Amino acid sequence: MEVCTKMTKKTKNIIVNLLPFISIGLFIGFWFLVAGKPSSIIPTPYEVYLRVVKLIEKPISHTSIWGHVWASTKRVLFGLLLACFFGIPFGLLVGWNKKFRRVFKPLFELIRPIPALAWIPLLTLWFGIGESSKIALVFVGCLMPVVVNTYSGVSLIPKLNVDVAKIYGASNSQIITDIVLPSSLSAIMAGISTAMGTGWIVVLAAEMISAYQGLGFLIIRGSNVSDLALVIFAMLLIGLIGSVLSSLLRFLERKLCPWKVEIKN
Amino acid sequence: MESRDKKLEIKNICKIFLNKNNGYETAIEDVSFKVKENEFLVLLGPGECGKTVLLNIISGLLKQTSGEIYIDGKLSKGLNSEIGFVFQKLGILPWLTVRDNIAISQKFAGVKKTERYEKCQKYIDLVGLKGFEKYYPHQLSGGMKQRVGIARAYAGNPDILLLDEPFGKLDAQTRYSMQDEILRIWNENKKTVIFVTNNIEEAVFLADRIILFSKQPMSVKENYDLKEMKRPRDYTSEDFLKIRKEISDRTDLVIE
Repeated sequence: MEVCTKMTKKTKNIIVNLLPFISIGLFIGFWFLVAGKPSSIIPTPYEVYLRVVKLIEKPISHTSIWGHVWASTKRVLFGLLLACFFGIPFGLLVGWNKKFRRVFKPLFELIRPIPALAWIPLLTLWFGIGESSKIALVFVGCLMPVVVNTYSGVSLIPKLNVDVAKIYGASNSQIITDIVLPSSLSAIMAGISTAMGTGWIVVLAAEMISAYQGLGFLIIRGSNVSDLALVIFAMLLIGLIGSVLSSLLRFLERKLCPWKVEIKN
Repeated sequence: MESRDKKLEIKNICKIFLNKNNGYETAIEDVSFKVKENEFLVLLGPGECGKTVLLNIISGLLKQTSGEIYIDGKLSKGLNSEIGFVFQKLGILPWLTVRDNIAISQKFAGVKKTERYEKCQKYIDLVGLKGFEKYYPHQLSGGMKQRVGIARAYAGNPDILLLDEPFGKLDAQTRYSMQDEILRIWNENKKTVIFVTNNIEEAVFLADRIILFSKQPMSVKENYDLKEMKRPRDYTSEDFLKIRKEISDRTDLVIE
């Protein structure tokens, strides 16, 4: 009896570990099915694989696959870091300081609905078509979600936590660092993760317009020369990098907010 | 011994709130009383009568509309390090471990980490949380969380301890044991205590003296001196039941 339960437990574990691959397997199967028809214009997974091999042998614009991946990732990360550097303190101030909020919130509300892509002409004028204009664009795209989430995290802080700090002698700056910041940390992390998604959207758009490196550039190049296998490969890479980066962020959140994770367990 | 009789003096405190319809609402109407040093004073009143408001005013978290508060004969203006507060809704910070929660007043005062852990250990032991120093609040039961709150108030080493219905949210069994605990802690480490509750039994069990308040607008209704009543008290003894009935008959009924 005991052996039996152990056995089922083991098989159960294997099944649970296999579950995530089911949807991916189904997807690839479906892809084969659709692309395999003679009339289809979509390349099969195997054709995409062949295209990748060719890409390794003959890089596009003298840049390896990793070079393209890194070009895009670098732009997203720099823009995101800049957005955190300015956005988190700004969000904290807007959420915490009433006067600051009254002064800056209307302007912020006015700028917020403008999509990041609408900034492209202005940013191109200011920064040219080089690296800095792309990073600036990612910055603009990431700034809004970071600020909005930080701000809403701060405004949801229980008054009681602040009262506790006051009773036990916290100065105003200690209330910010020791109460406001940790109270809103998980909202801030949620903002960063949203911002990263926006960052990718924006960087791809920017690369499609003017770039010689990056995943967006690969997509637009593939589109221009009807190389759909290249387009699909670039799309898959974007998906892969995006999911790796979000799991990194979740890992970071677990490290930064140990009390939150243990509640979930 | 003038000062010993007047550790804390509440003088003609009034509190008027502006309510939603732009009208005025009197929460506290001219309340005055004195608290002796190391006295265990219980403020008893029906629910929502303004006891918490009064406690917040004494602590300095809230400003009174009129009246004064004197601590050791000195006019108190706002927050005061002489006062520790145990909150009804706990206010234990979820991102800090038990000992970091308890050491928070020393952290704000700039005491070094090792030193403040060392100092706090005494209070961790006092409330019976030894072994739980590195736990996070969500890993603790309700009674243990309230112990953290009590230890935190003690660790600031205040002269006066304010407790706002600290056991109101606990189940009956835990509540009884925490009542024993708070008396033990108070006996081991005497402080001037102001304990707010709406539970008559709890008041009679704990108090040196009970001040009974009316329903809102709150005013002093009666003063019961129980200093002579022997401790530990027995919920079923004759004098306990007698004083309980006496207070119960005088308490305002509030239908919420």
